[in-house]
Amino acid sequence: MTTSFENLNAGDAIDGPKFAVSRESIRLFCDASLDYNPLHLDDDYMKGNFGKTNFGGIIMHGMNNFGLISRMLTDWAYPAGAIHRRLETRWVKPVKPGDTIQPTGIVKSKQVTKNSRWVLIDVMVRNQAGEKVATGEAMVEFPN
Amino acid sequence: MAQAEAFETDFWKDANLRKAWDDIVPGAPRKTIPYTLTKEAIELYCRSVGEDHPIYFDEAYAKTTRYGGLIAPPSIHILLMFSCTPADDWMRSPGTVNAGQSWSYNIPARPNDVITLQARALDKFIKRERLFVVHDNVFFNQHGDVICSGRGWTIRPE
Repeated sequence: MTTSFENLNAGDAIDGPKFAVSRESIRLFCDASLDYNPLHLDDDYMKGNFGKTNFGGIIMHGMNNFGLISRMLTDWAYPAGAIHRRLETRWVKPVKPGDTIQPTGIVKSKQVTKNSRWVLIDVMVRNQAGEKVATGEAMVEFPN
Repeated sequence: MAQAEAFETDFWKDANLRKAWDDIVPGAPRKTIPYTLTKEAIELYCRSVGEDHPIYFDEAYAKTTRYGGLIAPPSIHILLMFSCTPADDWMRSPGTVNAGQSWSYNIPARPNDVITLQARALDKFIKRERLFVVHDNVFFNQHGDVICSGRGWTIRPE
C-alpha cells in the first residue's frame, strides 16, 4: 500500500538500510563532509583521554548517523509526495570500524496545522548488537 | 574544484588560531565564506552515506519531480558547515565532540548554488566538568532564500 497521510498510524515502522562502517567508509565521509577531525583519522591521538572519555580508537562521525537517518526519511517520504522537514539527534554510543549500523523509525503521531499535515517520527540507529547508538525525532510534512 | 583543493585537511595546522571555550563569546558571529556547491560535491557526499535516489543524480528524472531539477540531500549541511567556514573556525578544533543537534529544512540546496552561512555561538556552559558550546546556523542560497537552519551542541577540547 502506498504511504499516505491518511493510512499512517502510530506505531508504523520505517526501516532504513544497513551500513557497514569501515576505516574506508569513515575516510570517505571525511572527504565528503570536509570534517577531518582527528577523532576520525588518528589512531595515536585516540589513545588519549577526552575529559572523562576514552574512545580506544577512531570513531565514526556522529553526523554519519545523521546522514543515514536523513536518507531513510527522504527515501520514505519522496514516493509519498512528502517532505523531510526536521531532524533532531543525540548520540548514545560511539560507532567504530567493523560495526554495522541501521537506522529505523516509528511513527509517533500525526498533526494537522493551519496549512499542512505533519507526521512525527521517533528515529534511532542500532549497531549489530542491537544497541542504540543514536536517537532522535523527525518531522515529515505531507502537503495538502 | 578549487574550493576543495584549497581546503586544509590537517586540522592541527591552524589549531593555535582557533578560539578556546574561554574565548568564545555567545552572540558573536562566526566568520563565514561563500561556497559554490557543485554536482560533484553532492555526488561525493551521497556516496559517503549511500544516497542513491535519482533526484540527486538523474537530471531527466529530477525535472519530473516537484523540485524541477537536481537537488542535494537535506543533510548536505554536514558538508556546508565546513565548506562555509575558514580554517581558523573553532568547529575544526581537534577533539571537538558533537553532542547533538536539530535541523529544520526549508528548500533544497541545488547544484551550483552559491551558499552563504550566518552562524554564531549562542550559549556556552559547563556540565559534568565538560565544556559545552551551543552554535546556531542558517544557510542561504544566492537568492537569499533559507535552505536550512540548525542548532548544535559540541563539547570543546579546551
